[in-house]
Amino acid sequence: MPKQGKLSRRQFLATTALGAAAAATGSVAMPSVLRAQGAPVKLGVLHPVTGALSYSGQQGRLGATLAIEEINAAGGVKGLGKIDAVLGDAQSTPDGGTAEVEKMNSADVCCIVGGYASNICLATTQAAARYELPYVVDVGVADGIVTRGLKNTFRFGPGFGVISKTALANLAAINEQAGKPAKTVMIVHEDSLFGSGLAKLLNAQLPQQGFEILETIPHPTPTRDFNNVVLKIKAQNPDLIIPANYYNEYVLLARTMQQQQVKPKGIYSVLGGAASSYKFVKEFPEAARYIMDCNHWFDPRNEKALALKKKVESKDQFYTYEVYMNYSCVYLVADALERAGSANRAKLTDALASSTFAGHVMPYGPTKFVNGQNEGAAPVNTQVLDNDIKVILPSGFANAKPVFPRPA
Amino acid sequence: MRPFLPIAAVLAVLAAVPFVVHSNTTLNFLVVALMIALAGQGWNILGGYGGQYSFGHAAFFGTGTYVTAILQVRYGVNAWFGFVGGIVAGAALGGALGALVFRSGLRGSYFALVTLAFAEVLRIIASVAPITGAGVGTLIKLDLGIRTFQFQSRAAFYWIILALVGVSLVLAQLIERSRFGAWLIAVRENEDAAKALGVDASTVKTVAMVISAAITAAAGCFYAQYFLFVDSGIAYGTWISIEALLTPIIGGVGTVFGPLLGALVVKTLGEAAKLLTGDAPGLDLIIYGTVLVLVIWIMPRGLIGGLASARKLMRREAPAAPTGEVRHG
Repeated sequence: MPKQGKLSRRQFLATTALGAAAAATGSVAMPSVLRAQGAPVKLGVLHPVTGALSYSGQQGRLGATLAIEEINAAGGVKGLGKIDAVLGDAQSTPDGGTAEVEKMNSADVCCIVGGYASNICLATTQAAARYELPYVVDVGVADGIVTRGLKNTFRFGPGFGVISKTALANLAAINEQAGKPAKTVMIVHEDSLFGSGLAKLLNAQLPQQGFEILETIPHPTPTRDFNNVVLKIKAQNPDLIIPANYYNEYVLLARTMQQQQVKPKGIYSVLGGAASSYKFVKEFPEAARYIMDCNHWFDPRNEKALALKKKVESKDQFYTYEVYMNYSCVYLVADALERAGSANRAKLTDALASSTFAGHVMPYGPTKFVNGQNEGAAPVNTQVLDNDIKVILPSGFANAKPVFPRPA
Repeated sequence: MRPFLPIAAVLAVLAAVPFVVHSNTTLNFLVVALMIALAGQGWNILGGYGGQYSFGHAAFFGTGTYVTAILQVRYGVNAWFGFVGGIVAGAALGGALGALVFRSGLRGSYFALVTLAFAEVLRIIASVAPITGAGVGTLIKLDLGIRTFQFQSRAAFYWIILALVGVSLVLAQLIERSRFGAWLIAVRENEDAAKALGVDASTVKTVAMVISAAITAAAGCFYAQYFLFVDSGIAYGTWISIEALLTPIIGGVGTVFGPLLGALVVKTLGEAAKLLTGDAPGLDLIIYGTVLVLVIWIMPRGLIGGLASARKLMRREAPAAPTGEVRHG
């Protein structure tokens, strides 16, 4: 029988030396928890808040935490109480994200929301799958995220397949409507999962729609100089430019085109990092004018979406898609928690799989997950008109008509 | 056997950690730290012992990562053989690059620039080549099992990476004590003098590069098995070139334990800074960077060099007091 209160030399060494080593090496480095009193439900909120994707990551975190604040202010999840947000920083890398999943699993979260970039989501969902930890992907669009048969993974937004199909159909429709002024195209894309995947799809499908692709130019993230890329564009003079990159690169590319006075008939983005961003439109209205985008967008007829917009803007923040998608994802999880009646991971996974949640702010209709993909999720087409972002397609949501080709 | 006792002791202590620490967070942290230590040990063989400061060890890390992943995903090769294939490919690349660069007589900053450029070229190729999955990358399917080299338990991965680090420590010790090691150090100290004494400098450096590349490639192979996803930025990105050279520089360049100590300290520092700053994004990186600058400033020969200097100073100071008294008396 070990004597209580007395510590043997061996025990002392084991608890101090190894304990100190464990502490020093990070076992105590748990993600910080926004404590809500007596809160039983821990929710992981994982975004790349530092590194190359920090702006998008911070916007995503803002959306998620706003939803959690609202849910908690209204008394929390019915029957379960308030939600504790366990915040994580993926540091814009897949291994950074994986390390955070480990911490969140140790912190006993019931579910993780976020990831943002496709390569982060691929790694983090797989890491969470080891613990059968439900994971709701906020943005990551790579189709591979939901085609690996991972039962824990749910994607609320649309994937590449749906986005590119919609984008191409809408581009053809806009061009057709204007009398087919655009015949030649150049694609400028970032060279990781998102941009390259998209470029590959566009290269395969645009020629079928009657477009000639003059050149496809990849670039890394981050890239801080687009002069050479724009000089190439200027030399080839395409009718249409299709950028596919993250926020900073998108802004730089558009500004460089403005500086070098490159004025194609249209700039048509697919998931353009800045094209549907109020921040971009406000800070660089000239560079942003007439840019069209096929992207994630809130339902402009939804009162909750407009109220959230006001709330975000009152905090001097921009209402970007990361905000409202993460906001919606948290509400989706809260609804599933309520239906599951428990924070048990298996029950929550089942509840998410059978979700018909309609209380979000996106133009998707009630959620319906098939193999983890929300089947109703679809992008919309926007255009920067009168220093504002208007929806131009689908007509059911549109509040403006497309202006194409852009006026000289 | 005696020179290997410290290695055995350190490995024994580290091997016992999973029996005491059950937190997967800690084990994940240690696995990543050991993986960086392994990559750093690779750099240390060439940079520390051979004096050839490479800025592009990502080339070897990335080749190991991609070959392991591609062999499994595209050719259905068993994961363990894929792992070995990755190491062999990394070593072969090291040999080819070494033969090219050292035969051309490139040294110092020119060597550093060439390695940097080489890694960058590989990154660009990997970001467009269909075999690597281009920008989409290569994803190894999650399929837990010994055959697939995927384990539910972080401890299993921990022991594997620790074993690899152990092999690299033994290799470094063997090199340090061998004739080849003496040639390598001679080349580092004064290449022309070494040549005058009959050392075939370019062969010695090329062999060192092969060993160095193989060790760093092993870290890359491990990355592929652990994270199951690789793209061009991960494999050939500058991050790993920096980590591989930073850890031996912090720990002690040209020492057996330098990379291991450096990796543990650098990673712990990063975690501690995160813990300290809570949710303020980026503040941990500022603290981390500042402390690193201070460490290099105070201990330019790394932690092991700093500790040795401190020990010497203490030894000198201990008898100094009575001697001083005599002099004054």
